[in-house]
Amino acid sequence: MDGVSFDVGAGETVGIVGESGCGKSVTALSILRLIQPPGRIEPGSRIEFEGKDLVTLGDEEIRHIRGNRISMIFQEPMSALNPVFTIGDQVAEVARIHAGLSRRQAWDRAVETLALTGMPAPEDRAKQYPHQLSGGMRQRVLIAMALIMKPALVIADEPTTALDVTIQAQILDLLVHLQKEFGTSILMITHDLGVIAETTSRVIVMYAGEVVEQAPVDELFARPHHPYTEGLMHSMPHIGHDQDRLNVIPGTVPAPTNWPHGCRFRERCPYSWERPEREHPPLYDVGAAHVSRCHLAVEPERRNNPHAPLVVVEGVGAA
Amino acid sequence: MPGQTQDSAATSVARPRESPLAIGVRRILRKPSSRVALFVLGVIVLVGILAPLIAPYDPAAQPDIVALKDLPPSLAHPFGTDPYSRDVLSRVIYGARLSLMIGVLATIVSLTLGVAYGAISGYAGGVVDALMMRLLDAFLSIPRLLLLLGVLVAWPRLSIGALVLFLGLTGWFGLSRIVRGQVLALKHAEFVTAARALGASRRRILGRHVLPNLVSPIVVAATLGVAHVIVLEAGLSYLGIGVPQPLASWGNIIQDGSDQIATLWWMALFPGLFMVLTVMMLNILGEALRDAYERR
Repeated sequence: MDGVSFDVGAGETVGIVGESGCGKSVTALSILRLIQPPGRIEPGSRIEFEGKDLVTLGDEEIRHIRGNRISMIFQEPMSALNPVFTIGDQVAEVARIHAGLSRRQAWDRAVETLALTGMPAPEDRAKQYPHQLSGGMRQRVLIAMALIMKPALVIADEPTTALDVTIQAQILDLLVHLQKEFGTSILMITHDLGVIAETTSRVIVMYAGEVVEQAPVDELFARPHHPYTEGLMHSMPHIGHDQDRLNVIPGTVPAPTNWPHGCRFRERCPYSWERPEREHPPLYDVGAAHVSRCHLAVEPERRNNPHAPLVVVEGVGAA
Repeated sequence: MPGQTQDSAATSVARPRESPLAIGVRRILRKPSSRVALFVLGVIVLVGILAPLIAPYDPAAQPDIVALKDLPPSLAHPFGTDPYSRDVLSRVIYGARLSLMIGVLATIVSLTLGVAYGAISGYAGGVVDALMMRLLDAFLSIPRLLLLLGVLVAWPRLSIGALVLFLGLTGWFGLSRIVRGQVLALKHAEFVTAARALGASRRRILGRHVLPNLVSPIVVAATLGVAHVIVLEAGLSYLGIGVPQPLASWGNIIQDGSDQIATLWWMALFPGLFMVLTVMMLNILGEALRDAYERR
């Protein structure tokens, strides 16, 4: 991952979107300095939060931030909970670490927070073990753990990916609702543009470890600039649009060891010409608060004659 | 379904609190073989604990070394007497006490060392882990019995405490391997990353998120470990370098009759029977525990 740079304002929801392997989760983990070797944060990087640089913070201080000022919701509610403790215990643990509450107080706080997440019968539920809960309920537990300290920023790493669709909608509504209540900022990491459209105000599109486009959500959906963003949008299924197979962007994200020279998307890009081969594109200004890492910003006429379709219907050939 | 709230909430609330430990215990108790094992072990442990109350004679008393020696089983001496005229039944009862105690204490020593060593190695990772594991390979390459023989021969008339210590010191290698493997796997479990993301310290993660998840393999290793130590102790005592006289352990009762094993058959049969029974039951229980916890 390189040169990823973005900001999240107070009370704002920013989305990071991209295919698997784009570096979304690594970005999220880096913010809390949780990446495991061989991954590391380059010296000279800055992660600024409430006036402090998280990169240079001591271990004790960053621990005070984690779960307290910035917390995280993980994508797998099945495996993100410890199987040998009750869920109440696990939610309370966060309050015990950060607020220094007694066992009793922390437990009460945990039950309250579980109630806020819409968990029915929270007093009884708190005494249950993770394996006794459904996926949606477990995700509520993770949300309670993330929110019990009323953090300034919540990083939600694909919070709904592992859930079925009806539960997904409930969980998203819950997040949006709690965000309003607590005034928390959310960094929503997802590969689902539907989630982005529903919850965020600003979107960052990542591809092969870098930011390729950033724009307010309405602007992005109205005028996607980067061919990758455009491809993602065309890959979304549309209601009322009868189609047997979904569109896909041809090819896959290259491995980090194998990033092409020049533009990293050019091998999958229908507009690609000599310039992207030679020159790694910078983030061009392409509109109101809208930037895009594509040379089309300066040679827009090239968009008119793609040499291949932007998306294809897999297995059938060109659409 | 009308009236149904979010994902079947109402149905499972009624279920009782089920810790993974409790589920394991229930699974074990469902098996008749492990119920029998638990019962038999319970009786033997009780016999050991109550030894002073139920033993008919003083296990060390030699009432008449001429008239009462080498007596076959009779009503007065159900397990017969030994060449020193001591009552074998009383000695077997006291032997249960000592053998079990040595087994349990030595296993506690092994568990402590094995868990600590394995957890540190696995959690530290990298060079520390590599060094600790090579050192462990070196320990493992020496047979345990040989190690013990060496120590005990060089150190005659060892106290029981020292014997327990050495049995424990030589018994933790295998367990620490298992623990290290589990810790390595758990270190990257998502709930550990989640705990870190929520601000848990290294110590808290190790103590609260890693070790509690190791309880089941440790319980299994402990059960099998006790059985192993009992056999080892008996072997050492039989060789005359384990439990010192006049104390009774199953091993040294057999040893007392070993030079006339064909005629003094009761001296090998009864303590041997108790030992085999205990070890067998421990192994059955250990296997059942393994099945219960490692299935999941």
